[in-house]
Amino acid sequence: MSQSSNNLLWRSSWRFLLKHPWHFALSILGVALGVAVVVSIDLSNSSAEKAFQLSTEAVTGKATHQILGAGENLDQSVYTDLRVEANIRKSAPVVEGYARVEGLNRTFQVLGVDPIAEGPFRDYASQQAGIELSEFMTGNNTGMVAASTAEEMQAKIGDTLKLSVGGIDYQIQLIGLIEATDDRSQQALESILVVDVNTAQRLFNIQGQLSRIDLILPQDSEAQQSRIKEFLPEGASIVRSDSRTETVEQMTRAFEFNLQALSMLALLVGMFLIYNTMTFSVVQRHPLIGRMRALGVTRNEILFTVLKEALFIGAMGTVLGIIAGIILAQGLVQLVTQSINDLYFVLSVQELSIGIFPIAKGIVLGLGATMIAAFWPAREASQAEVTTVLKRSSNESKLSARILPLAGIGVLTALAGAAILLIPNGGIAAGYSSLLFMIVGFALITPLLIIGMAKVFRPILGKLTGLIGKMSVRGVVTELSRTSVAIAALAVAIAATVGVGVMVDSFRTTVVSWLEAQLQADIYIQPPSSVTRQADATLQPMLVDLLKKTEGVSESSTVRSVDVRTNNGFDNLVAISQGPTAKQAYQLKVSGTDFWQRYTQENIVMVSEVYTYRNNMGLGDTLRIETDAGTQPFVIQAINFDYASDIGTITISREIYNKYFDDNAISGLALYAEEGQSVETLVDRLRERSAGMQEVFIRSNRGLREASIEIFDRTFTVTIVLRMLAILVAFMGVLSALMALQLERARELAVLRANGMTPGQLWNYVISQTGVMGIMAGLLSVPLGILMAYVLVYVINLRSFGWTLQFMITPEVLLQAVGLAVVAALLAGIYPSRKMSEANPADALRNE
Amino acid sequence: MKNEAHIQLNTLTKSYREGEKSRSVLDQLELSVEEGEMIVLLGRSGSGKSTLLNMVSGIDRPDSGDVIIGGTNLAQLSEKDRTLFRRKNIGFVFQSFNLISTLTALENVLLPLKLKGDSDEEAVPKAEQFLTEVGLGDRGDSYPDRLSGGEQQRVAIARALAHEPMLILADEPTGNLDYETGEQILDILNKLVRENGRTIILATHDRDICELADRVVELQGGKLHEVELSELSAS
Repeated sequence: MSQSSNNLLWRSSWRFLLKHPWHFALSILGVALGVAVVVSIDLSNSSAEKAFQLSTEAVTGKATHQILGAGENLDQSVYTDLRVEANIRKSAPVVEGYARVEGLNRTFQVLGVDPIAEGPFRDYASQQAGIELSEFMTGNNTGMVAASTAEEMQAKIGDTLKLSVGGIDYQIQLIGLIEATDDRSQQALESILVVDVNTAQRLFNIQGQLSRIDLILPQDSEAQQSRIKEFLPEGASIVRSDSRTETVEQMTRAFEFNLQALSMLALLVGMFLIYNTMTFSVVQRHPLIGRMRALGVTRNEILFTVLKEALFIGAMGTVLGIIAGIILAQGLVQLVTQSINDLYFVLSVQELSIGIFPIAKGIVLGLGATMIAAFWPAREASQAEVTTVLKRSSNESKLSARILPLAGIGVLTALAGAAILLIPNGGIAAGYSSLLFMIVGFALITPLLIIGMAKVFRPILGKLTGLIGKMSVRGVVTELSRTSVAIAALAVAIAATVGVGVMVDSFRTTVVSWLEAQLQADIYIQPPSSVTRQADATLQPMLVDLLKKTEGVSESSTVRSVDVRTNNGFDNLVAISQGPTAKQAYQLKVSGTDFWQRYTQENIVMVSEVYTYRNNMGLGDTLRIETDAGTQPFVIQAINFDYASDIGTITISREIYNKYFDDNAISGLALYAEEGQSVETLVDRLRERSAGMQEVFIRSNRGLREASIEIFDRTFTVTIVLRMLAILVAFMGVLSALMALQLERARELAVLRANGMTPGQLWNYVISQTGVMGIMAGLLSVPLGILMAYVLVYVINLRSFGWTLQFMITPEVLLQAVGLAVVAALLAGIYPSRKMSEANPADALRNE
Repeated sequence: MKNEAHIQLNTLTKSYREGEKSRSVLDQLELSVEEGEMIVLLGRSGSGKSTLLNMVSGIDRPDSGDVIIGGTNLAQLSEKDRTLFRRKNIGFVFQSFNLISTLTALENVLLPLKLKGDSDEEAVPKAEQFLTEVGLGDRGDSYPDRLSGGEQQRVAIARALAHEPMLILADEPTGNLDYETGEQILDILNKLVRENGRTIILATHDRDICELADRVVELQGGKLHEVELSELSAS
């Protein structure tokens, strides 16, 4: 075909789109919303990842290896021995921790260094960078921050910064500013406070100890490593400096994948809407296509014209989606960072990094999804016989004949989806593919279900609004080729919101009932920690003694939480001193015989089900933990439910912990009130007694439960935001599809008006028809939504994190779904009803 | 072997399935049309006139038999080749005009020329000339919904003739028009077809139209019967 005739076809397409501006705009919006969600999640994830990489790079510097102790720390003498005895020059001591700086609402990474040894490692912290040793190592608390950070908190050299570390306040004098050489290092340094090693030891109360020793070793340094090992104490080891980064990246992988998957769900909903729009637009144009075909336009020309149109819609939607995605990401990145801070590690993202990959992905997905969604309608348009497209009713009769085979294929597709779930080790991707099959299968069964529902609705509406009611239901069935696609698309869109809603509810219910069992004590005391769900700070021993001896306290128990190295990498080890009540607090999934009798005596541990899932371990397996007494084997003798961490926890009795670790610290204290003692009064008493000492959280059982649920809700904020966006996409879908359907029936409505239907009756007719379609979509979304939730809860969640959840369907979520559909449907009816009742029927009749 | 006519339909058969039953529409139908002839195809509603035109245009395919137009047997062509043949060689005038609502009157006339591959320099003056010939030279920028029925049909006639097709098929061209407008349309169609030396098959149930014809055939029971013009004027 010549270029110019191509132009003429395209011109015809373009004018068709312009003649249906609502439809055109809403289809662009459908793509835009889908793309916006994907892009914003990707940008948030990649910004968090980049911030993490930058701060890791800044903190690790050029170190190739690190020496780590068995427990949290390493004795300082190891460094002296290495430097003096072994003459390892490229080595530097590091003390690391977190602190809150007054005036800035973020957590800082405190890096304690020796500027003399720093030269080869971190330019900004070395003597060569211009650090005044005389001021830096005075024995007082002094430190440096990036110049941009100082500007942000309006501080200058000589000012005093107020710091809070684990609830204890310190003052640090600002003696210098770090000048970043470029944007990248400025970003990396904006949440780092550089202090002298001794200052850091004082801040973290680890006098004489180091967090690690950094090394620069050449390649093939086996011999040198062996020599270094000779100077290391039991349990200490040399690891590659990137191994910790890998562990951290692994931690967040499932979290990020799930966010991405949820964003893809929004795009999938968007795809259904595009499919709906394109199908509708093609069906609407059947006579036009027929005429063109009769004049000699070939099938391929029709196919390419429709696809070109889709590409145009896709391109516009993608551009808008990317812009909206970037705006949305500004807000989402804070939510994602908050969740990462609550769940995994301290991270501060000050600015969004707009990488090429998320944008490219948005473009590919936006255009790809549009083209895939548009392909079938375009193909159908091109495949139609000229003789049949010239007659409208033929399309309906063709669909009526296909309803049963379609439903049959639908059932088979859904079954194929279920079969995918049976693939062993299918992973998360298989879970989502299965979901996709089920959705497509359900959509194919929809026409049959609509006919069934219409049989029920017809007499009901007939009773309510007489003949008009019956006509509206009948209209849904007679134009099944248009209505079924719209209803199926809407049902899928709304079902996605039901699926995610039920999943969040299930999660919440499980966590609430787990918390009730877990929190046995009356009062809990914790120091503020940098990662909400991890106890990385410790309580001062004096404070612990004081609180335990408070009047009204009958019993107490403690927990100690540390990061240790095991044969699975870095893991969280929790030592509990709880006595017999532990049995009630810990809900065990499985356990060995007499676990609770044995756990204080033997080298056995309890691990969370998430831990076993992540590390592919089970009851009876042996864990090798690096302790201060060397590597020790511990047998897994119990697996417990634990929803506090998605990384997994190893729990051990304090007695056994003390045997292998030189650590008396306490991360948390649980107190039991005496019989008859009011808990609230006791909390007040404890707060009074601890006044002026370390700042700690003293919370009643109820208070802690509420705080925990609040954190839970916070970590689910991103999911809820995504659900809201999916709801918005669904809402726009209902609105656009039904409105377009009614607008397209202008001629039919004009015939009704010409035959004497009053404007009021026309309102009634249109609104009851869109209402019926909304109710149908709402009702259909319920079973599909529950099915999606089932897969999300029992397959995807399990494969991502390994949690067993209670399946919880709350009526609110279902009512919300049906309500959403009906409200959107009713709203969709308003504009066409108004337009039609005000329009002169003659105009509509005259128009083709 | 007999001399092949410009249009030759040999033993053309077409039937449709209606549920379990099969309904024969065309039954061993034969027709020869010479170049430049104007044939009026008479038949009642439902007699199969449109089906026959669909076969001749290559929109549909016969169950058996040949549709030979200018030496090409459409029955043996693929769907795509039939479409390409149609765009070059057939012009359509439908009862319900079937203009492309998203194109202006001029663009509607341009479409077959463009599909044929004509450049703008060739196509636009030709399209304008035909629009002027049907009396709508000043309405080229109007969209179909701004034109009356008679005007729409005139655009359709211009569109059918503009790309100089071998054959024009007109299916009840006056069916949607009042008597007077219908007469005008027939006059224009007759004039232009004759002036341009085109072959035309005009399907109608209106016997009055037959007076324009060189030859009249009637479709009955799936077969064509030649009707003498004298018979028509007598009736």
